[in-house]
Amino acid sequence: MSTTIHDPAGPLAEGAVQLVPAAPALVGGSIGVLDNGKPNARLLLTRAAEGLAARIGGEVVRVTGKSGRSGGAANNAATACESQVLESLSKEVRIVLTGSAD
Amino acid sequence: MGENAQMGEGLHEIDDESPEGLYAFLAEREWGDGLPVVAPTEERVGVMLAGLDPDEVLAVLPPRGGSATRRAVAVNAVMAGCPPEVFPVVATAVRALGEQRLNLRGVNATTHPVAPLVIVHGDAVEEMGFNAEVGAFGPGNRANATVGRAVRLVLLHVAGARPGPGDAATQGQPSKYAYCTAENRAADPWEPYHHSVGVDAPSAVTVHCGENPHNFHDMESDDIERILDKAASAMATFGVNNACISGGEWFIGLCPEHAATADAAGWTRDDVSAYLFEHARLPAREFRRQFDLLAWAPWMSDAADDELLPMTEEVGNIRVFVTGGAGKHSCVIPSWGMTRSVTLALEP
Repeated sequence: MSTTIHDPAGPLAEGAVQLVPAAPALVGGSIGVLDNGKPNARLLLTRAAEGLAARIGGEVVRVTGKSGRSGGAANNAATACESQVLESLSKEVRIVLTGSAD
Repeated sequence: MGENAQMGEGLHEIDDESPEGLYAFLAEREWGDGLPVVAPTEERVGVMLAGLDPDEVLAVLPPRGGSATRRAVAVNAVMAGCPPEVFPVVATAVRALGEQRLNLRGVNATTHPVAPLVIVHGDAVEEMGFNAEVGAFGPGNRANATVGRAVRLVLLHVAGARPGPGDAATQGQPSKYAYCTAENRAADPWEPYHHSVGVDAPSAVTVHCGENPHNFHDMESDDIERILDKAASAMATFGVNNACISGGEWFIGLCPEHAATADAAGWTRDDVSAYLFEHARLPAREFRRQFDLLAWAPWMSDAADDELLPMTEEVGNIRVFVTGGAGKHSCVIPSWGMTRSVTLALEP
């Protein structure tokens, strides 16, 4: 005998954000670095961005923390990026490197 | 088990409700916590909902962005084995998880083992059958065990906090299975915890995202300072996130006998917090030697190397409640750090 059960995951919220598809090719363009606050993330990501820029003919135009200010809890890896930083990055650069982990 | 069919949004038809069949159904979809569950049939979920609006959204939970509707939460409460009468505690805890200041996105994304601790306060403790006495952190009591588990199942399914893609904890911790206790009002010499944080209701629920409890014991003292020196020693360590994130809270779970010793000496809950703030300290130099990145309050960053600094930036971050039974063991519960506890009045 069959039984009907409910789905435990439920619906996604309206406006839930999903990952965008990967870009088919990276050619040229401006590159930004968004330091996510993990140790040495800025160093690692900047070097990676410079390497990427050399490969695709792009340019690293902005390196920033999540608050746009240096130091303090606002740039900690566990805090969200301030919206004005995201907005300005989205206007200034085409590619953002972010998120080194432990 | 034969073929199972999806019957449209939110429902599945399964042909084997045995524990083994249900487990296989869940495992195929990467659902469940690894333990057997109760089948969330329409009848059982209906009883859990108790006639309330199933589509009411209690919270939106990251990283999945799942909508924690009352129905979805009830489904997970059924799966966890909750008796229907404790469902308001699960629902209130889920509301707390959705509060911005709790930072659930970070709680789920971090490599730290953090788990949300649910603390039940007030009349609900006795009325719903929670254990606030011997073994209050479990096991052996259905309300404590299943509420803690239901919250975890909501995180796994609705929030998408599966180890790996949705929960990055390097090692995890046992309290990620179930983490629920209750305040022992009968043995508490002070006002109820939830009143102390401004929630004026007969019952309430606190969610604190932290580590497993760290035990300390003092069998011998009738001197509250000698007892709390042991708590301070358990707090003053570089091995917790509170050492490098000064905004983190501490929850201090005093056993009834330690609380009675404090009360007999004329100490209030705030006196206990103040003592720990003053005595759980380490030299600024040592913090700086241990950490390259310190998310500290500015006044701590300005401290001279020889200054003794507390394990949190303000005394109000040390939160004291009474739980447990006979015996002289208490605990300190460190925070993950970038999170604030939330206490809400119990609602259906």
